[in-house]
Amino acid sequence: MNDLIRRLLGRPAGKSGNDAKQRLKVLLVHDEIDLPPAKMEMMKAEILQVVARYVTIDEDAVTFRLHKDDNRGVALVSNLPVRRVAARA
Amino acid sequence: MSQCIVVTSGKGGVGKTTTSANLAVALARMGQKVVCVDADIGLRNLDVVLGLENRIVYDLVNVIEGECRLKQALIKDKRLPNLSLLPAAQTRDKNAVTPDDMKRLVEDMKRDFDWVIIDCPAGIEQGFKNSIAGADRAIVVTTPEVSAIRDADRIVGLIEAHELPEPELILNRYRPGMVHRGDMMSKDDILEILAIPLIGLIPDHEDIITSTNRGMPVAFDDESAVGAAYRRIARRLMGEQIAVPDFTDNASFWNVFKRWMGIKGAQEVIG
Repeated sequence: MNDLIRRLLGRPAGKSGNDAKQRLKVLLVHDEIDLPPAKMEMMKAEILQVVARYVTIDEDAVTFRLHKDDNRGVALVSNLPVRRVAARA
Repeated sequence: MSQCIVVTSGKGGVGKTTTSANLAVALARMGQKVVCVDADIGLRNLDVVLGLENRIVYDLVNVIEGECRLKQALIKDKRLPNLSLLPAAQTRDKNAVTPDDMKRLVEDMKRDFDWVIIDCPAGIEQGFKNSIAGADRAIVVTTPEVSAIRDADRIVGLIEAHELPEPELILNRYRPGMVHRGDMMSKDDILEILAIPLIGLIPDHEDIITSTNRGMPVAFDDESAVGAAYRRIARRLMGEQIAVPDFTDNASFWNVFKRWMGIKGAQEVIG
């Protein structure tokens, strides 16, 4: 009964299984290449700094993720949308 | 041809010892000669799960150090004469044994038994290395949780690195109702991630707790559906082809309703 009330009032049920699967997938890729998420954030910040020297990127739209391919192992997949070419120095 | 199976998981508390005890009982009930080895030196528990704790005189370390013969240390289960237990030492640590010691011990036991089942300790250190040293085949036990599956994935990699054949998975403490409403990873989700064959699916059930309380593994119980799930795994180990039902349908509203109404034909079918 408590469970029913909680489900009626509280968070929607039926989502956490998928949350678990997604978290697990990310975790396993990080484990495999021994690059914890916080270190990847550091790498991301450095890469953005370098890229920003040449082009202006839309930082809100930047994506960085590790992708596991069945055949080719782990790839770092990133999308850095360019807003405009930076003014020449 | 005798086989040595190691039951492992990486993470502790997912059911390695319960699985080892029940597979040993199920195989012995099929007429096989089985010895169950507790490789968790310093933290022995398989004796308690099998209900044989009051009969220990010698242990695995005594045998390896030559203080007794193997036959003196083996405890024969009076309920099931073709089942024996080799208990772990309680007051020693894992470094008292080496992988070569275990290899020799397993070879000795394979002369007298059809199946040697090794209950591996949690972790990936010495106890794990000892446990897999003499094994021909590995079973990985996991539960439908992120932490347990992460560790299982690591263990699968280590087993393959040790040149054992691809391990088989037992998915333990499965709750079809939670899977049905999306609050637990499904069998297929987990198989997609671990990518090893499934040899059994054990639902989360009170029978496990009550049978462990009594020291009488549930595989002895002909009335229990969980006991039947273990017995099916034993038959799969023997080479029979039996499908592993995922019984999500079993948890659907309509089936739960039919069971509630007492309509036959909607009884639980458990992997």
